[in-house]
Amino acid sequence: MSRKYLLLILAFGILLAVPSVIQDTFFLRIITEAILWIGLAISWDVLAGYTGYLNFGHGAFFGVGAYTTALLMNLCGCPFFVALPVAGVVAGIVALIAGIPTLRLKGAYFAIATWALARAVQQVALVMDITGGPDGMRLPTYLHPGFFYYLMLGVVAGIFALYWFLLEKAPFGLKVKAIREDDQSAMSLGLNPTKIKLQAFILSAIPAGILGAIYAYWITYIDPASVLGDLVTDQAVVMAVFGGLGTLIGPAIGAIIIFSFKTYFWAYLSNYQVLYLIILGGVIAAGVVFLPNGIWGTISGYLQTRRTLKQEPVVQEKTDKGAHHV
Amino acid sequence: MSEPLLQVNAVTKTFGGLHAVFQVSFQMNSGEIIGLIGPNGAGKTTLFNVISGFYAPNKGQIHFKGQDISGKPPYKLAVLGIGRTFQVVKPFAGLTVLENVIIASFAKHPKRRQAEQHAWKILETTGLADRANAQASSLTLAGRKRLEVSKALALEPTLLLLDEVVAGLNPTEADRTIELILSLRNMGITILIVEHIMRVIMNISDRVVVLNFGQKIAEGIPRDVAMDSGVIQAYLGEAPL
Repeated sequence: MSRKYLLLILAFGILLAVPSVIQDTFFLRIITEAILWIGLAISWDVLAGYTGYLNFGHGAFFGVGAYTTALLMNLCGCPFFVALPVAGVVAGIVALIAGIPTLRLKGAYFAIATWALARAVQQVALVMDITGGPDGMRLPTYLHPGFFYYLMLGVVAGIFALYWFLLEKAPFGLKVKAIREDDQSAMSLGLNPTKIKLQAFILSAIPAGILGAIYAYWITYIDPASVLGDLVTDQAVVMAVFGGLGTLIGPAIGAIIIFSFKTYFWAYLSNYQVLYLIILGGVIAAGVVFLPNGIWGTISGYLQTRRTLKQEPVVQEKTDKGAHHV
Repeated sequence: MSEPLLQVNAVTKTFGGLHAVFQVSFQMNSGEIIGLIGPNGAGKTTLFNVISGFYAPNKGQIHFKGQDISGKPPYKLAVLGIGRTFQVVKPFAGLTVLENVIIASFAKHPKRRQAEQHAWKILETTGLADRANAQASSLTLAGRKRLEVSKALALEPTLLLLDEVVAGLNPTEADRTIELILSLRNMGITILIVEHIMRVIMNISDRVVVLNFGQKIAEGIPRDVAMDSGVIQAYLGEAPL
């Protein structure tokens, strides 16, 4: 456990030093975006891996955050650091309103309902004048790669730490897992599933909204296809599933691997771009078949088996009167 | 005499056109063990679900500690002091045995550390302490039934509803579970138990309530109920003339 902490702190330290070592703004930009995807993948996993509800409209919260920021900064000249928390709050409110009806659904029905809601939100941005319709919106430009790098790193590290505390240390983590494993049993033990699911949904949505806000200000241009399209959700889902659901480290690893792979293809193998989605699709299909617990789930399972093999077997027969012979 | 702990008053629960439970009334006093029996489909589990809040009764009321609890959701009743087990056991399979019981302990001990200490105490009582760190899914049926009881017990209930916690166990395991139930009664917990194994019901119940086709057909001490002609008929059918 403590080794895991050390590794996380070490990774954070290395990331802090990155801008002073790498002067190339292209690379800095890539790492900034990789950190963004870590944030999106872990925030999706709060509801999917921990609570057991597959949200296929996660990108809507990202887009709502992005559009909230663009509207506030363009229409009333709000400073960015005022717009940022508001974007998170608006995403949280959308989650509250969307969650009350949809969290009654389970499995595929919840996935379909959230996907449809995200399409509805995208459509709203497409038809409204204030959001610029399909042309999207421009934001005031602030060209400072180092600023965005540190902002992204700080926010995602903060999200990670908050999730770590709430889901791995505090009672809340066990409560959402109880809902995931069996909501009837959870109910009979004093847990209100509707309340806990809503809390998890909001906890997943607010960071996505904040990340959308940073993204909008960083890229300076947003449109319904880029921030409200299916691709935002799909990539977060694929990263989390590939890395390992129900953990924080898994989706982070998945985000790094898949994002690096994608960037490498686009930057260096641009002649073979047609192959990108084909190879990615193949890798994901193979991953789901051969590594159903994701990369991190497989690694930690392997480590656990090795630890168990090293231990002396515990003799159960003498103490446990026949309880193992059913 | 003091007020009964649980008072079930003319409760009816229908599913479509079917009366799963029809005008059933009985009451339980503090410290009693009451056996609830009846042939398959008699409405025992439905009645359990009504008392524990999973179904709201269509008619009738349920009073617990003098308070009308009919139609209150299960998670509120759990905190009020009604614990239940499920006939089809529902462990949190992906979590450890200890985590399963910690989750139940949160009802009375909201802090993680206290909940964990409390969970260990419960596991000592129910004899699962040596399996605390095993995955709940790795337990045998006997272990899972014990885990069901442990979780319900971690709520520190005044009333415990046990739905077939002995069925499916071998004789040794059954005896250990019966011992456990009797020790719970000695701790002051009032118990309503559904069971098909008559040896169990007849030995541990103070009184027995018999259901058939959703209606109460008999109530009394085990020996009298076993002699009751209506009960014999319900179980064995009518004697040919």
